[in-house]
Amino acid sequence: MDLLHNLYTGFTIALTWANIFYCLVGVFFGQIVGVLPGIGAPTAIALLLPMTFTVNPTSALIMFAGIYYGVAYGGTITSVLINVPGESSTVMTCLDGYQMALKGRAGAALSIAAIGSWIAGTGSVIILMTFAPALAKFALRFGPSEYFALAAMAFGLLTVFGGEQPIKIVISTLIGLLLATIGLDIVSGLPRFAFGMPQLLGGIDFIVIICGIFGVAEVFNSIEEPEEGELIKQKMRLRDLFLTWEEWVASRWAIVRGSVIGFFIGMIPAGGITTASFLAYLAEKRYSKHPERFGTGAIEGVAAPESANNAASISGFAPLLALGIPGSPTTAVMLAGFMMWGIRPGPLLFQTKPDLVWGLIASMYIGNFLLLLMNIFLIPPFVAILRLPYTIIMGFIVIFASVGAYSVNNNIFDVWMMLGFGVLGYVMKKLEYPIVPLVLALVLGRLAENSLRQALTLSGGSLSIFFTRPISALFLCAAILAYLTPVIRWAWKSMQRPKATVNT
Amino acid sequence: MWLADLIGGLVVLVLGFAVVFFSWQLPYMSEYGPGPGFLPRWIGFGIVGCAIVVIIKILKKHDKSGAFFRPLTKMGIKALILIIITFLLFPLLGFCVALGLFVGASMRVMGKHRWISCAFTTVVTVIAIHYIFAHWLSIPLPTGMIGW
Repeated sequence: MDLLHNLYTGFTIALTWANIFYCLVGVFFGQIVGVLPGIGAPTAIALLLPMTFTVNPTSALIMFAGIYYGVAYGGTITSVLINVPGESSTVMTCLDGYQMALKGRAGAALSIAAIGSWIAGTGSVIILMTFAPALAKFALRFGPSEYFALAAMAFGLLTVFGGEQPIKIVISTLIGLLLATIGLDIVSGLPRFAFGMPQLLGGIDFIVIICGIFGVAEVFNSIEEPEEGELIKQKMRLRDLFLTWEEWVASRWAIVRGSVIGFFIGMIPAGGITTASFLAYLAEKRYSKHPERFGTGAIEGVAAPESANNAASISGFAPLLALGIPGSPTTAVMLAGFMMWGIRPGPLLFQTKPDLVWGLIASMYIGNFLLLLMNIFLIPPFVAILRLPYTIIMGFIVIFASVGAYSVNNNIFDVWMMLGFGVLGYVMKKLEYPIVPLVLALVLGRLAENSLRQALTLSGGSLSIFFTRPISALFLCAAILAYLTPVIRWAWKSMQRPKATVNT
Repeated sequence: MWLADLIGGLVVLVLGFAVVFFSWQLPYMSEYGPGPGFLPRWIGFGIVGCAIVVIIKILKKHDKSGAFFRPLTKMGIKALILIIITFLLFPLLGFCVALGLFVGASMRVMGKHRWISCAFTTVVTVIAIHYIFAHWLSIPLPTGMIGW
């Protein structure tokens, strides 16, 4: 009954005209961001975050959540129609979606993506609604050692999911942690790495860094490597959007399987929507009786990853809201938003700010429904956006990044620093140092350090506090295992490799 | 790319040593537990250790193909120069005008758009920035000679 009452409260908040407007703006903007290659959800939210200083936090969060799951819908359009993923989470959709488009079934591919995303999104909201409060209740038992262990686990999991060069992931994480230590130490009051510059005493604001590292860096990267593809000039009629019975039968269980995989991967810190769609595609291919059809226009190859990425984008809110730990770069940016509005997400959020939490959750039903309608009836205008020259898009990114960085402290120094981080982000990407670990470590750095120091203070300097408390021991074991994964993988590959024979 | 990778590894190594050096000047332990230098020192050690691994891997690498500078890198450099000029113009022209000019200039320099389109976009952008950010969102953007 509590659940229904909370949901009712949520709908009374989400269904106000102002919040419907923000939800509509969010999903619409998310859809556009998804369509435009080179701009992702974290960039869009990072650039808009400083503009919401004066907006009600619930409305702002509803808008940002709309952008987040709207991006997953929007990225599909470019994946299907031009074989260029608008978003990394829709890479797998290109494989079969584009092939379907070449066969004249672009409408069906877009439809199944929208329907699958809607089913997965709505289903995930229902599970999130029951799961997140339970997780929050469980997290009330967490002390400093558990929070430190949880952060360590999140960093460790990055090496599992983050890419092929784990050592560079660790370096990126350490640089993020380092950036988080800059400024006055809150315990001793001593300045750290400020080098006598008064602007650095308060630390480097998160918004300044993400506007640079996501926004401006993205400009340089996109100029250098433009993502071009040929738009399929196929006139799409409304009836082309309808699925045949065979297509529906083939995709219905793929949607369910994709949703389940997406939901669980999205909840894992560092799991993310890209990993979810990738795993869902692989699972579907493995499960299929005709795996050879995948890559040639199998509708399940669109349904599964599309359902998974949307389910993951919704379930990613569970660790953010219940634990205060972001699971992806986008939720990390949102965590920065929470901090900006003076709200601390975590177990107590469900008790102290029920209107915000349940308003946000209820808005997801509305947002997913709006996106379904948009994706069935508004595909042509979104495709038209692809014709916008990048030089204009680039101008908008620089404007938002500059104003965003300036508005944090009304200081030009921050704008220059933002540009510096833009160059850093560009160089890091070129040298294959991933950005995501840096951002997650930056956001969680203060929490990790404070928890570590509190825990060690409580234990009188003994590390045993991390291993004698079961929850923190569990998290730390997972973290250690995660860090060891690359070594295990390497050892496994070495064992599998046939021994070289020397012919004489 | 091999050389760029190596230089990148060396820069990270130097950063690591610098972090260790500067964190050494901070108290490692305090009266009640870890001090302000505790985590930074371990971060520094971590960066040094990882950088050494990266450098060794690069030195062992046989494939030295790939280039850091690509055909379109100069376009990126042009964008960077335009951004720097824009930021330098902030005190003189103010945020709105400088950023508006940036949009027009980048359209002309990088997109080879017609002068008339660039000029029109510049004017529209200046007005839009002023009304959206300074007026509607009440962000006190620095003004320049024309008071915008």
